[in-house]
Amino acid sequence: MADIEPYENALDAIPGAHPYPRTSRYHDAEIGIHRQPDGTEVRYTKRRLLPPLPESGTGSGTGSGMANGSGIGSGDETQSHTVSSGERPDLLGQRYFGDPAQWWQIADANPVLDPRELTDEAGNVIEIPLAGGFPRADRGDRRV
Amino acid sequence: MSELPVGRGPVHITLQMGPKLTRPVPAEVTEALLSAQITATAGDRSGFQLAFDLTKNGLINRTLLPEGFFDPKTRVIVSVSVRGTPEVLLDGLIVRQEVGASNQPGHSTLTVTGEDLSLLMDLEERTDRYPNLPPSERVLAILRRYSDYGIRPDVYTEKVSQPPHQDLRVHYQTGTDLQYVNELARANGYTFYLEPGPNPGQSSARWGPEVRLGIRQHALNVNMDNNSTVDQLTFAYDGTAREEPQARWQDPGTRQSTLLPQPPISPLRPPLGKRPTPALKRRTLSGTAKQQREQAEAELLARAAVSADVISGSGSLDVNRHGYLLAPRQLVGVRGAGRAYDGDYFVKSVTHTLRPGSYQQNFTLSREGLEARSAYVRP
Repeated sequence: MADIEPYENALDAIPGAHPYPRTSRYHDAEIGIHRQPDGTEVRYTKRRLLPPLPESGTGSGTGSGMANGSGIGSGDETQSHTVSSGERPDLLGQRYFGDPAQWWQIADANPVLDPRELTDEAGNVIEIPLAGGFPRADRGDRRV
Repeated sequence: MSELPVGRGPVHITLQMGPKLTRPVPAEVTEALLSAQITATAGDRSGFQLAFDLTKNGLINRTLLPEGFFDPKTRVIVSVSVRGTPEVLLDGLIVRQEVGASNQPGHSTLTVTGEDLSLLMDLEERTDRYPNLPPSERVLAILRRYSDYGIRPDVYTEKVSQPPHQDLRVHYQTGTDLQYVNELARANGYTFYLEPGPNPGQSSARWGPEVRLGIRQHALNVNMDNNSTVDQLTFAYDGTAREEPQARWQDPGTRQSTLLPQPPISPLRPPLGKRPTPALKRRTLSGTAKQQREQAEAELLARAAVSADVISGSGSLDVNRHGYLLAPRQLVGVRGAGRAYDGDYFVKSVTHTLRPGSYQQNFTLSREGLEARSAYVRP
């Protein structure tokens, strides 16, 4: 990045060069190239590792939404939600983010492997990341 | 940019301030925010204006304002999150604050105005010499001085390579860094701008050709009944804007002056319209005879490319109705404006106007010819 790119590279960093849009959890995943024995190259998305769970009580210091009153000093990046019966991760995504496809942000913030475990039992308390925060502090530096 | 229309989901705005490292502002400051206006332009400085409600005994008036929380050179980062996908709109510095005290309760306001981080490059004038460095290396050397604000250089080599000769000419910088970088960009037909993001506290400084390739943004619909996403859209076609520059160059060895051939501008400006506009004006560039030949060629190409955009459009949209954030300095499709003006355009500038409960974007578009090149735009 901190070097001069040849003029031809200006055509590489164009919008749409990455197969996943900004809304996708795979947007920052690395694209690998697999060489088959006959020499053909197959592009594939490398495995996405889940981000580290936020430690309770220590904010990681990245931007957190302040529209909901988290001011200076409160470092927590999540709010708690008590599951009631009939809820699903996509309904929670619509409720908290305005987009049911963003349920994966909620799944990332909780120690579950299967997203259905989030809302299995009514009365469970799960963590919801604050809307307006940047969920991935270690996001890549790609902007397209 | 979201990939689906905005549902009933809220648009969240996050405000961070601080001297150099920012942190989220206190909740009282956010609640006092009346409006935010942010302008982002291709090849120009971005600016912002934030208006706060100033209550007599509020936190801002009693503590933050006297303690210098809104002082000039305070860094401000504004990011919005549309449907869970955050986007940094602005990374800038406060330049000026205005307090309007009113006799009516609730009408006192604090207005904070500022510019983006390129203001840093415009603060002090310096004279510097750059022996044996081509323009892109000079820009990179300048941009590296500002890395402590999270500015990462995104520099591309020139289209017409200009190998430097130290024994013939040494390039000098007079004026501020920003003026010199802009001057080098103009001489090569490039633009220089700072683009905030992708994370708060980072921005990339692009010195290179405009992004006129790639996937278009979601189309703007006009005059389509309830499918219209744009409130209004007007186009103007200025026939005299395009000029055909002429440059003469003198060979120092033989003293022969030759007229340089007209370069094709399509590498810098891939055509967006089907009918290119003929150049009505002819201008002779001054001072090219005594330059190096490559420099004269680069300037000729730059002048021809920059003046090629004869069609300009402007309009406004509501983000909630359009469903996506319109990003500046990229391509976007337009449909519903009629056969002559449909098709792809380059988004020259976007002004975001955020108020509690509304998010408007005013934009300007540009293109070099009438009629779309393809029958479809990206919906």
